[in-house]
Amino acid sequence: MALLTPFNKMPELNTANILLVENEEQFQTKLADVIVNYEKQINVNVRLARKLPLPIENADTRPRIDLVVFIVNLIYERSLQAMESSIKHLDSGFFVGKVCFLVTGARCGSVSHERLLSVRKLAASLHCPMLCAEDQTTEGVRAAALRLLSIVKVSAGLVPTATALYLSALTRCTLPAELDQD
Amino acid sequence: MSETSQLSGLDADASRQSDSSDPGLCNRSLRENVRKKVDAETQFRLSLKYLSEVEAGTVVKGNDQLERNLVVVESVALSRGLSPEAISILLDFALSLRVGGNICLRVLKFLIPATIVTQDAVVRGVSWLCVGKMPMSAQVLFVRWVLTVFDLVDCKDQLRDIYGFIFSFVTDENLCPYICHLLYLLTMKEHVKPYRVKKLLDVQAKMGRQPFLSQLLALYKVFCPELVVVSLPSRMKIGFKNHNSPWKSALAAVQRKNRGEVLTDQSLVLAVKEKPTSRKRKLHHLEIPPLSSAFHSSSSNRKVFRLEQLSSFSQLLENLHNIELPAQMGSLLSSSLALHYLDCVQDESASLRLNFWLGDSLHQEFLFGPADGSSEASGEASHFLSMLLSTQHFLQEGFSSTESFLYKFLSVWDGSLFRPQILGLLSDIPLVPSSCIKTLLFEPLMQLYFTSTVFFKCSVIECLNIMLVKWLTWHSVSASEDSLDISLNSTSAMSMTLSGFMDSVMELVRFVGRLATVGLQLENCHALLLCHALNFYETVCDMFLKYSLPLFVMPPVGVFYPALFAVDSVTVDQLGYIMARYRKNLTLAKKQEQQKQQTFHVRGNTYKEFNQLLVTMVSCLWNSKMFLPGMGMEIGEDLLAQSSVPEFWNSFDLIHHPAFLSYAIEFHQKCWPERRDVDLNSIKVGKYRNWYMEFLLNQGFDGLKEFVQVNINQRSISSGSQGDGQPVSQT
Amino acid sequence: MDDIATDILRRTIRKIPVKKLQDTLKSWEHISTSQLETLDFSQPKWVFLENLRSLCEENDLNVKHVTELEMIYHIRNPNQGTWHACQLLEAEDEALSVELTQFREQFKAHLMEVMRHVSVKIKKHEDQAIWIRIAWGDNFNKPNQLKPTYVVHYLQTPYVFVSKLSSKHKPYLYQALVLSTRHSSIKDAHLSGSSLIALRDLLMRQYQQVFPTNQSRPLQERNALPSHPNIGKEHAELAEKRLQMACEAFGDGTVPKLETAVYRLETKYKGNGNDTLIDRDEPFKGVVQFTSTNLLESLRHCVASGMADAPVTPLLSSITQKGRNYFVITEKGPGAASQMTGRKI
Repeated sequence: MALLTPFNKMPELNTANILLVENEEQFQTKLADVIVNYEKQINVNVRLARKLPLPIENADTRPRIDLVVFIVNLIYERSLQAMESSIKHLDSGFFVGKVCFLVTGARCGSVSHERLLSVRKLAASLHCPMLCAEDQTTEGVRAAALRLLSIVKVSAGLVPTATALYLSALTRCTLPAELDQD
Repeated sequence: MSETSQLSGLDADASRQSDSSDPGLCNRSLRENVRKKVDAETQFRLSLKYLSEVEAGTVVKGNDQLERNLVVVESVALSRGLSPEAISILLDFALSLRVGGNICLRVLKFLIPATIVTQDAVVRGVSWLCVGKMPMSAQVLFVRWVLTVFDLVDCKDQLRDIYGFIFSFVTDENLCPYICHLLYLLTMKEHVKPYRVKKLLDVQAKMGRQPFLSQLLALYKVFCPELVVVSLPSRMKIGFKNHNSPWKSALAAVQRKNRGEVLTDQSLVLAVKEKPTSRKRKLHHLEIPPLSSAFHSSSSNRKVFRLEQLSSFSQLLENLHNIELPAQMGSLLSSSLALHYLDCVQDESASLRLNFWLGDSLHQEFLFGPADGSSEASGEASHFLSMLLSTQHFLQEGFSSTESFLYKFLSVWDGSLFRPQILGLLSDIPLVPSSCIKTLLFEPLMQLYFTSTVFFKCSVIECLNIMLVKWLTWHSVSASEDSLDISLNSTSAMSMTLSGFMDSVMELVRFVGRLATVGLQLENCHALLLCHALNFYETVCDMFLKYSLPLFVMPPVGVFYPALFAVDSVTVDQLGYIMARYRKNLTLAKKQEQQKQQTFHVRGNTYKEFNQLLVTMVSCLWNSKMFLPGMGMEIGEDLLAQSSVPEFWNSFDLIHHPAFLSYAIEFHQKCWPERRDVDLNSIKVGKYRNWYMEFLLNQGFDGLKEFVQVNINQRSISSGSQGDGQPVSQT
Repeated sequence: MDDIATDILRRTIRKIPVKKLQDTLKSWEHISTSQLETLDFSQPKWVFLENLRSLCEENDLNVKHVTELEMIYHIRNPNQGTWHACQLLEAEDEALSVELTQFREQFKAHLMEVMRHVSVKIKKHEDQAIWIRIAWGDNFNKPNQLKPTYVVHYLQTPYVFVSKLSSKHKPYLYQALVLSTRHSSIKDAHLSGSSLIALRDLLMRQYQQVFPTNQSRPLQERNALPSHPNIGKEHAELAEKRLQMACEAFGDGTVPKLETAVYRLETKYKGNGNDTLIDRDEPFKGVVQFTSTNLLESLRHCVASGMADAPVTPLLSSITQKGRNYFVITEKGPGAASQMTGRKI
């Protein structure tokens, strides 16, 4: 299957495009609504996908993707597996600050602990940031959307003082300390 | 001793049964009463009587009479609670299994005390437990019931006397968790015996490291460290769970109803949480348990004073030596007197227990809870956190369980949930050793900081500023007692050398410097963020004078230059104040160093850094010089020529600086009201310059005034010649 | 009022919620309006019951009347216990002309013929359903009024729903049903659930069905919410296709409420590892059970949301297609157990 590549299309003026990948398709719709309705100064397009690779039919209409967000619901094992299989269909060009992981259900105790650890390991090995989000409350959805917006603005090159790689060097996931092992 | 008390309990029971009236008569009168409107009270009493006289082996299935009487008692119990006598009778009725296990479970579930539970009833219950006929579910439910009503038991001396009997159930796999909890609440120093420790270790070897066993052992270790030689995990995950679920809502309702009469003159600073309605959610952890009310019974022969009886501070002082802690330590949080007690008593078991309870509640609710989005639940949770925060402020120190919870919570925080409370608690954490400060604190914060809005960035820097102030205050308080070792926390034995403390502070200041620099860069020098960063450096620059900590860290250029070239005058003014304070601190340090009063040594590099910043600032603002060699910021001649800014060296002096331009124009208009074309350079000439300086510094720029006074000598002002920043000389 | 009547009265009254008591008693028609007014419905049930019993004694009511009340309660609350569906086979020519009076007489007669002690009560409900209450006895004992069997039959249809029938009485009931409805045999439909309405709807296809089309899908309008122009769905077509397939398999809108689907596996073990199981000749027996408060809706959601693969496996779609929720899955080919009660699918 075709890899999704970050630089095969020209960027548009004052536009940022974000791709939300979530197997359950629940959180992404809520996020997308907040993102497009909140941002007024620039034009933000949100693409929603269930998994990668994306359908070839849409390749022409699809804009250049500035940020790929993998949403993992730690309550479901399948969510993690779907993300792991999707990530293989991403061009390595994305891993310079254009990928980010968003996990939900991280506070749900020991069930999700193992999965959180494996997402964290993956994110650390790929030098990507991993954000935690509260998907149940509107306030939590809003907070997550705003954080994604601030990242996508940088990775789309709309913040003159920072680049995607610079930001990801600051925010990338680090492997948990011994605190998580006890 | 324990056997005698048991026997006396049984005797009392037998005597009650013998003087009861004829059951047949009772039944007949009951049937008559059904037709009429019965007085509820009589009905209840009759039903109770009926139950107390039911004989063993009575048929249960289809026995309407039994059912009817049970219903009467049940409804009274659930609405008004039961009197101590009724509890005794019903407990006896249930545990004797006269009508089988199912009814026993049912009765146990509605045993809601209205006021107190007599100790006799519980002791008799334990004796039924010892008989060993009860089915396992009933045994477990009984012990859970005892745990739930523990605070309501009038006195506990006899229960303590039968400690050995209760202890014997530890070996039972099903009962063990609950028995451990009960023992935990009962244990006194004299109960800790070598054979009991051995038994517990045996059980632990069989069942594995269960938290409830560890907790009990930890308590034993507190009492008799010499007997418990095994090492216990220093940071325990979970203590005891709450076992009150079957009775919780009913008990709360009954207590609320009765509280008006019982608890009237308790001065509670923090109101005990009123629960509006009973909900299905399992949020019982977050309810601050009320200090349970009980009446002191004269039968108690050990003189103890319960915390919930305290009503005044003087009472607390009188009884300080024999106060008994409540069963649920969480209730301490709601009473200021209890907090006073906790503060002044160096009782390790009290703070240990409170920490266990707190750690368990925090973990259960915030790290293990299925997050549902109801606003009511989150309101309750944030109320809990706020209460914890105010408790910590009251005690002026953070709990260690809060600290370890926060480290875990930070790593899964979305940066928005309970933000004010979490940041508040975070600023309360005691000094973190520099070896682990990075992984525990900085890394999770970095991720949140750089992906969040500017307002979050501001609040993080503010939080770290408060944290720094608290650390420094600790230092200045404890350093006066002992100049090298700093005890971090009244309850922990951990101490730290001065150099260790300085390392941690250094790490923190550097970290904030980095956050501020990059944050300003990302946020395009947001004025609010700049203000918070400068607030932080106001704390940093005064560390030596205010907190006698010989540590000097200059603001990074990423903060200094944005502040110097800021378009708002307040920021430049603040920078002036900071630089003036730096100078005062450094000058004093130098003086002390030269007089060999201090053992510390300020690195020469610090002076150099400071002087470079100072020279730049004075040249820019005062001498209209910019981009000259040695000023820290150099730009090639040809590049400056290309920019075609006329007289670029003037651009940031006090007249042309964008922050002060409006003042210069105003001054110009006052001097030459008739002039149409504004020539700011004319202010620079002769006496106008001095007048302008006077005019400007009287606009409320106190920081700038101080800066000018400290750094620019009066002669140069009065003579109108060029001022000079007098660098602090280097050794 | 004998003990049995009192007992039935008590059991029935206990089941009826206080709010509905008055209405139910009114439609019973054995207590006069003025008598009803003397009753205090806010009393505790057991006090109320005493008062009601004295009224019944006043009116000289007996078991027959009280069972009527029980029937009213059951007709109004059809979702009690477990209902099993049966299907009448090979209708005779007269089957279509059977009407109530004829059925009532014949059914009673056929049952009485084989059993001396049996009490049958038949009542017609508004929606053409005939409700039958049977209290069984045997040749020596009086009918046990406390454990009645309820049967619901829709005239002129081949479907009968039975609840609380013991296997001992099954042949008698089946015979009486077959004869009085003019069919030649009856069989178990392998469909059961607690909602009578759902079973009926499923068997009689009284729910919104969706059929495969090649045209642009009608579901599309309903599904495509007015979303922001800046939001693009990469898998929109796929999602629609899945929804279409899910609705084709399980119906659209509100679907009949089934609680379980049971698959009894009697197939050879397939899978890797565990040689002892693979090599065995006899089938590997196992039971797979799906439970949900609304099974069909859950399955539909599973497919529509992509949790289960689309197109839907025939194992699941057979629930609606064949109208049953109990399946025995046997190995294809010769030698497979052909004497199984369920057909293979």
